[in-house]
Amino acid sequence: MEKRGVRKGASFPISPSSILPALPFLLIFGFFFLFPISRLIYVSFMSNENTFTLGNFQTAFEKPYNSGFVNSIKLGLLSAAITAIPGAVAAYFIETRGSSRLKRTISSMNGVLANTGGVPLAFMFTAALGIQGFLTQALKAVGIDLYANSFSLGTFTGLLIVYLYFQLPLMIIVFSPAISSLRREWVEAATNLGANNLQYWLRIGIPLLLPSFLASFLLLFASGFSAYATANALTVGNVPLTPLQIGGLLDGNVSAAQLNLGKALGVVMIVISACAVIPYLLIQRRVARWQTR
Amino acid sequence: MKLGKLNLPLIITLLLFGAFVVIPMGSAFEYSIRRGLEGGYGLQNYLWAVREEDFSYYLIRSTWLSAVTVLITLVILVPTLTWIHLSNSKLRELIDGLSLLPLVIPVVAFAVGAQISFPEFIQSSVMELPFLYFILALPYAYRALDIGLKAIPLKTLSEAARSAGASWLRAIVIVILPVIRSAVTATIALTFALSIGEFTMTVLLHWDTFPTWVTYVAQDNLLGAIAISMIALLVPFVLISLVALLTPEKEIKESN
Repeated sequence: MEKRGVRKGASFPISPSSILPALPFLLIFGFFFLFPISRLIYVSFMSNENTFTLGNFQTAFEKPYNSGFVNSIKLGLLSAAITAIPGAVAAYFIETRGSSRLKRTISSMNGVLANTGGVPLAFMFTAALGIQGFLTQALKAVGIDLYANSFSLGTFTGLLIVYLYFQLPLMIIVFSPAISSLRREWVEAATNLGANNLQYWLRIGIPLLLPSFLASFLLLFASGFSAYATANALTVGNVPLTPLQIGGLLDGNVSAAQLNLGKALGVVMIVISACAVIPYLLIQRRVARWQTR
Repeated sequence: MKLGKLNLPLIITLLLFGAFVVIPMGSAFEYSIRRGLEGGYGLQNYLWAVREEDFSYYLIRSTWLSAVTVLITLVILVPTLTWIHLSNSKLRELIDGLSLLPLVIPVVAFAVGAQISFPEFIQSSVMELPFLYFILALPYAYRALDIGLKAIPLKTLSEAARSAGASWLRAIVIVILPVIRSAVTATIALTFALSIGEFTMTVLLHWDTFPTWVTYVAQDNLLGAIAISMIALLVPFVLISLVALLTPEKEIKESN
């Protein structure tokens, strides 16, 4: 049976301290991700003559690009603010009262809605909320005339409505784990110590869930802030949004005196997105300490 | 499922959330099956879409690109993660952190970076897409596999396989992969879904796939584009819901 025997160094190829087994991952990740991002940052500081400049960033904060940032941030904040609480409440009832089959069904449906949205979502709303759309007609029948004052899906309000459709499922997805790790024992312990329902929520439930709630909000903001596909399909350049402006510069549809302006806009986007996603990741990590059983 | 007591808050939640999801979707579906001048309903927009030559061309193209992405993801991540879990390398923290980094970077910014960085021979090949999709799906795929590997006695399994004379490749393919199959399935589903629906990176790098094709269709035939979008949304929606509903509870517990 001892055909080969147990070779020495049976621990994973080479010694554990070696970097070799991680090399394929590090190479691909480095080349396809770290390299383009570093180059983007580097080039954003280059003038047309390839000398160092801050001019691209200066222009990035002037008209019309500053209103792009304002609108994108507003869209991210509003779409997150509108969906965060309803999403959290829905997640709570589904997680605490639903059967496991129901939870699984809803979570996979939410996955489809939150992730595969984009362009199909835009056309779906074009059909539902177009002038002849069933939803428009139905709203009209109950006295809400969407098109009474120059509404269109290609406006800020229109985009906001469509964004809600992927933000709410996203909120349920990211917030559910926090709910499911609230332990029944804690309610019981609180009750035994004489707390009523309200006291439990004010003193225990809400303080425990608040960090996860804030983290989810931040992620929703980042998702709404950087969304491109839906806005690209619905608008025709009438709503200034940073992702669309970058797309326009990249395609050469919009010409700018500074060749590297689009890169500077991209870098500012990364900074804004990082301000939301990094705290999200840190909170998630902190919370994971008590969330894992 | 306990049907004994009436669960009012849950029912209200489900009704509201159901209405939120179904009303726009159903309303769009109703619109997409309207017949223009004759009135009434028909499937002509769907038939038109499916009969378009480009429909199957781009569907097949997107499918194989996504399949390649899944392959890259598994080939790169399963051995890397297995090694990380076995060796307790100091690299673990670093690689864990790196895998989350794509979440921080908006896809639009990433696309600009990709366009100005890669040499011509990469930019001219559509094979750049699966590698970029791999990066986009990495935060999710990495976590799914990580959780799967955490849950099994990896050390015992791999030592047993190695003692029995298996090479590392054999140990991973024949022993480890089958044990973490539910995590692998989740990874495949996630990566495939993300790749086949990816729009931003694809369109900004001037490639055409199924999702970008739909926007071209819309310029000539909006109803056709709506029909295609309904297929793109409803088919995965219904399929995934059916799978989730029909999988027996027992199997779920076992695979978890």
